[in-house]
Amino acid sequence: MKTLRHGRPLRPGRVLQYAALAAVVLIADLPLLWILFTAVKPDEEIISYPPTFLPHTLTLDNFRTLFEISSFGTYLTNSLIVAAVSTLLVVGLGTCAAYALVRFRIPGLRWIGELSLFAYLVPPILVLVPVSQLVARFGLANNLAALVVIYTATLLPFALWTLRSYFHGLTVELEDAAMVDGCTRFGAFVRVVLPQSVPGLIATAVFAFNAAWSEYLFASTLMAEPDKLTLSPGLSLLMDQTSVYSWGVLMAAALIVVAPVLVLFVIVQKFLVGGIGQGAVK
Amino acid sequence: MVAVIEATNGNWRAPFIIFGVIGVLFAVGSVFDSFFHVDFLTREHTFLGLDNYRRLWEDPAVRGAFGRSVLWVAGNMVIQAAAGVAVALLLNAGLRGQTLARGLVLFPYVVPAVVAAMVFRFAFNDTSGMAGYLLRTLGLSDTLVNPFADPATVMFALVAVNCWKYVPFIVIVVLARLQTLPGELREAAALDGAGRFGVFRYVTLPWIAPALIVAMLMRTIWTAYDFDLPYLLSGGGPMDTSTTVPLEIRKLAFADQDLGLASALAVCVAILLVAGARMYVRAYRASEDATG
Repeated sequence: MKTLRHGRPLRPGRVLQYAALAAVVLIADLPLLWILFTAVKPDEEIISYPPTFLPHTLTLDNFRTLFEISSFGTYLTNSLIVAAVSTLLVVGLGTCAAYALVRFRIPGLRWIGELSLFAYLVPPILVLVPVSQLVARFGLANNLAALVVIYTATLLPFALWTLRSYFHGLTVELEDAAMVDGCTRFGAFVRVVLPQSVPGLIATAVFAFNAAWSEYLFASTLMAEPDKLTLSPGLSLLMDQTSVYSWGVLMAAALIVVAPVLVLFVIVQKFLVGGIGQGAVK
Repeated sequence: MVAVIEATNGNWRAPFIIFGVIGVLFAVGSVFDSFFHVDFLTREHTFLGLDNYRRLWEDPAVRGAFGRSVLWVAGNMVIQAAAGVAVALLLNAGLRGQTLARGLVLFPYVVPAVVAAMVFRFAFNDTSGMAGYLLRTLGLSDTLVNPFADPATVMFALVAVNCWKYVPFIVIVVLARLQTLPGELREAAALDGAGRFGVFRYVTLPWIAPALIVAMLMRTIWTAYDFDLPYLLSGGGPMDTSTTVPLEIRKLAFADQDLGLASALAVCVAILLVAGARMYVRAYRASEDATG
């Protein structure tokens, strides 16, 4: 394949490949574009038949209606709180635990580390019943704290293993030097290890935030009161009332939910490419 | 965070152990509950032995859910593996705009299930749905039917949407593996007279097989237990014709309030999946041996 691509006539096979590539990209992204276009369309255009793709008139009415007639604002606040706190806990605890796993030789530590990876593979529906019983016993039903604890527990193994492989790539010399210079172990961890690990920390944080932001099963099972719903169960509630909420309003809600996830995903893709390999040891 | 460290007096293991132990206890709890009748409100346990398992075996709803789960997992895995490999090859073919296309194709994987369910329910709605309109224009359908409300089509529609969301996962894994394929291997095969299909069959496919098998193992587990997308798209309906095992587990536990029976069903699927995982591990070892 080491041929010049420019100035060469396209073979029919190549044309076919380009057509296939275009089709694949369209299938993947048309539904997302359609959310965007529908969210900014007036109702008359949305319900017209045959349906139109591009909006003729732009409007923000759907967003206004969404916040006025539904509890979307409450769902949004709840999800922001739960996702932010879970992310902080996952990254905080995961960083310490991964560091311990990489640097300390404590009997049984590796074993526990591998066990936690197994826990990550245990699907949520399997533990739904015991978890919900436990939540009820602790009186945490309808309490957002229950979701924070569950998300932290389920996402921690992933954070642990991502960060573990990240810390493996860092040299011990810098930490040792810092400790010789009078830093405590924790001081060396904060001043030397963490600054080198920023890309890994950000990737982990984005993963945890997206997972907590999108979670449906636990949120819909454990939160029954309307003012405690997060985005996923809240949206599914709105979606089942298409007589009350127009598709435009629903797509406006979908857009607000999916936009941060996609933006974070793009940032992480760029960041990871630029971040890896910029170690402190030159 | 600093407070937590100081509170545990520099004992780094503490938070880690606490969360690990909680995770394992949950799994053990399911096995324990499956031998009992568990009262939903008082959580009082009455020992039943294997009664829950016998009831599962005799329950037509559970048998139906098992059949649908088999269709759901098999359909998803076959399509996702085939489409995932095809798209990965396409994205590795050296086309112009390839880097941008790689990013764009991965988007569906991060879209929350509720958003995916919403846009596809909108696209296929029976009054102004764009998807129904396109199918009709292409002559593939003569009416604007909602495929999620028709018992004959609902499972296929669910599989299609799930593939839209999860093919990118296979693409990511296969693409990463393709980039490490030594060019000499392909050239040598071509010199030996292998055609394009021959190169794929005897060089490329064996090379990506180990990664593909591991990816399929993970996807099989997650697909078998996937609750969100099927539930949000069709709610298990119409008339339970799309109720897969995870939906049945939650129904038994919270609608029928039979926690012991729900736990027994969860345990059964876990056992079946461990058996399935062994199959994948065997295939993985064989493919590792083949590529050396």
